[in-house]
Amino acid sequence: MSTVIQREIAQTDSPLLEVRNLTVRLKSQAGIVHAVENVSFSLDAGKTLGIVGESGSGKSVMARALMGLLPRLGTAEKKGVISLDSENIADWSDKELRALRGPRMAMVFQDPMTALNPVLRLGVQLVEPLRLHMGMNRQQARQRSIELLSAVGIPDPQQRIDQYPHQLSGGMRQRVVIAIALACNPQLLIADEPTTALDVTVQKQILDLLSSLQKERQMGVVLISHDLGVVASRADNIAVMYAGRIVEIAPARTLFENMLHPYTEALFNSIPRLRDKAHTRLQAIPGRPPQLVSPAPGCAFAARCPYAQQKCHRQQPPMVQARAEGHQYACFFPVLDHTQGEHNHD
Amino acid sequence: MTDRLPVHLRDSSDIVLSVQHLTVTFAAGKKTVQAVSDVSFDVARGETLGLVGESGCGKSTVGRAIMQLPPPSSGQVLFKGRDLTRLSGEALRQTRTGLQMIFQDPISSLNPRRKVRDIIAEGLRIWQRPGVDARVREVMEAVGLDPDTAADRRPHQFSGGQCQRICIARSLALDPDVLICDEPVSALDVSVQAQILNLLEDMKQRYQLTMIFVAHNLAVVKNISDRVAVMYLGRLCEIGEVERIYARPVHPYTRALLASIPDVGVTDSANSLPLLQGDLPSPANPPSGCRFRTRCPYASERCATEEPVMRAVEDGQGTDHFVACHHPCLD
Amino acid sequence: MTLPAEKTKPNQQPHIPSRAQNFARALQQVFGRGFGPGFWLCVLWLLVVILAAVFANWLPLRDPLDPVIANRLSAPLTSNVLGADGLGRDILSRLVHGSRVSVVISLTAVSIGMLIGGSLGVMAGYFRGNFERGVMAVLDIILAFPWLVLLLALVTFIGQSLFAIAVAIGFLWIPAYARVARANTLAVVQREYVLAARALGASTQRILLREVLPNVILPVLAYGLVAMGLVIIVESALAFLGLSVEAPQPTWGGMIAEGKRHLATAVHVALVPSITMFLTVLSLNFVGDRLRSHFDVKESNL
Repeated sequence: MSTVIQREIAQTDSPLLEVRNLTVRLKSQAGIVHAVENVSFSLDAGKTLGIVGESGSGKSVMARALMGLLPRLGTAEKKGVISLDSENIADWSDKELRALRGPRMAMVFQDPMTALNPVLRLGVQLVEPLRLHMGMNRQQARQRSIELLSAVGIPDPQQRIDQYPHQLSGGMRQRVVIAIALACNPQLLIADEPTTALDVTVQKQILDLLSSLQKERQMGVVLISHDLGVVASRADNIAVMYAGRIVEIAPARTLFENMLHPYTEALFNSIPRLRDKAHTRLQAIPGRPPQLVSPAPGCAFAARCPYAQQKCHRQQPPMVQARAEGHQYACFFPVLDHTQGEHNHD
Repeated sequence: MTDRLPVHLRDSSDIVLSVQHLTVTFAAGKKTVQAVSDVSFDVARGETLGLVGESGCGKSTVGRAIMQLPPPSSGQVLFKGRDLTRLSGEALRQTRTGLQMIFQDPISSLNPRRKVRDIIAEGLRIWQRPGVDARVREVMEAVGLDPDTAADRRPHQFSGGQCQRICIARSLALDPDVLICDEPVSALDVSVQAQILNLLEDMKQRYQLTMIFVAHNLAVVKNISDRVAVMYLGRLCEIGEVERIYARPVHPYTRALLASIPDVGVTDSANSLPLLQGDLPSPANPPSGCRFRTRCPYASERCATEEPVMRAVEDGQGTDHFVACHHPCLD
Repeated sequence: MTLPAEKTKPNQQPHIPSRAQNFARALQQVFGRGFGPGFWLCVLWLLVVILAAVFANWLPLRDPLDPVIANRLSAPLTSNVLGADGLGRDILSRLVHGSRVSVVISLTAVSIGMLIGGSLGVMAGYFRGNFERGVMAVLDIILAFPWLVLLLALVTFIGQSLFAIAVAIGFLWIPAYARVARANTLAVVQREYVLAARALGASTQRILLREVLPNVILPVLAYGLVAMGLVIIVESALAFLGLSVEAPQPTWGGMIAEGKRHLATAVHVALVPSITMFLTVLSLNFVGDRLRSHFDVKESNL
């Protein structure tokens, strides 16, 4: 049963989600953690933005900040603009945000084992947002839940709806999580490492599912992953994060053909690829991810960057526009020409 | 069938480790689960065998069964000619210096209350080898840790990648013949992963190691292995020289596995057909005959009744490629 | 394009804090969150109690056993600092001498429980199987007995000396300790460093002593402080029944029992030792609990 939702597309020149100068600082035993610094990007309806970063890059904290799910007591500071459909929701109270979560924006988390309540049947968990936000009665909600389960590709949904999470495999569980997220037809879906905990064959199925659902519903999707491969194949635009900042953002093809930031290049080169021969020496990035507590001045990647100069250790590079449309990067000495290894020395 | 050696085992004096008909059974509540079912392979001196498969395939269990931690339910593990499964107690303990292992979670592999120096020296002290301090220093420098600053610290002061270096140093201190790596980079960041993989290659050269590398990431396994073995639900599907298997996989599962990998640089894979349907069957209740048949696009009647046996792949590319399938894709 | 150097360059050496920085960080943790002023007040009180117990004989106090009828039931801050009991004996002095009983009994009982119960628990947790089942079954039986009845029986057998009471209560604590030790051992044994030690060829004895014990001992010790508080209460219950250390040796429980008679006329006779006992047990609980959560958190941060 197809459920193509006709959505009124608002002015095509105003993006679905626009984030400007988002900064999040968290409290920890070691001090104030600069988890997200000055992040800006925009996402149109029907498009996917991929966010790539390693642990400590701030991508998960940013996802939670967008949904308003930061720990209340643990947050030292949150500022910036989060504009959903031209409304700034950054300073909204939890009560106001709750009305948004479900109908306007939804999130899919990494671990399907813990995202579902193990003591409640699947039907109960699915029905909850439907009754809460869409005002359905029990009958309607149950019927709708069965439709949702079949839309995400779960066989025998009438049976499955009365089962418990532990009776399903990891891939199935993640499908249910996606179904719950999509129950109220949100405009924005944030997927935080949705396939990391799954096997690679199941991973493909889930990513395919997300792509098709997105097309059907014209949702904006933020796809977060540490796996460049996952993001490369599914995102329209890709943002690379390091130490809480976006270091490069570009349309997917542009990024891979013409990456400018040394970190993007280093990341790309350090991943073993199937088409490389066995025993290919990997170009590892030396050193460790940076300290987020009292960060050093200058570019956070400078300590590990093969092209770093004095200036990089002293000043924070601003985001500048590259030649291609939609391509921005933050580096004083970007990688300009791969074959000849020339750099732009100021 | 259990008396004859499987056809893919090589007959050579260079074989350091030979695993034959390995079976490991667990009791899970009332059911028994065969995590590993009649698996055989061998590893020659100086070779790296990659053991690859998804969750529930039994690859980690194989690694631990080889180390006899705990011993397998049946089968033989021949290490330098001696069958480890027949040894127990003190006799087994004596063989420990030749086979070492590194684990997936580097932080929980280290005792949080001990200093790094003592952790690395532990093996040397147990066996009362001389020159403990010198050896510890040498091994720490080899893995890229500075002995003067790191030796007196405790594990919680190090990052994941550094902890894994400590684990590697600990295993190398005793100069083992074989190093079994059980998903050693899966818990690490991508950038650190590359460092550790390069380090393992370097250590293999420097200390003349033979390695078994267990992982679920196919690209990582290809990078470090000479030969690769693919497992599914406790059975071996395909084994052979790494380039051959990756270039021309013959078992439907191997093909599906390789096709599922999102390849960086390919920006339009949403349209490609998935070669795998359905879900992983429960290990407690595996399908009869070929275990892969419930998800295989080429499954036939024969697959349900007859378990496939390892056979050589004749494609004119050499002798090291074997597959257990009734309908291998030899195109 | 030059490849970045593999080995970490000097300026890229991983940040390993110096000794001084480590010490400063430890101090900060101890004096910072989690170990606030309440914690230190409790520690102070416990120190006072311990010092009182140790130096009781040398402190300038009146004779705790000396009845001065003239001072019978006198209120605090009249003839005696904390008043006098039904026989005119100085309450403050009896309190100080009584602390000796409390300290000795709680320390001894908890030590017995820890040594025997702890060892049984660690071994049960490590060896598992039938040994574990047997040990746990026996301990469950001990736990199933109403503890007062058990103590009655033991005290009748062994007598009512200070040592005997301590042993009796200690026996009661073995199952509780075994449980705590076993739970912690089970958690440790699952960790991969124990497996790694076996892979290195370590003998069972070596693994127990070097890998398991150092990680189990801290939570077990922290539990000991909480247990001490409970032991003091148990002792006072025994005193109420007249089964604790024999009179005229003062014990806090005994003092409360004696003061029961005078609740209507001179409430301080029962109240003062009650407050003292309350403060001590509260402090032990508080300090023990804080220490336990401090060590648990550190483990989970690794």
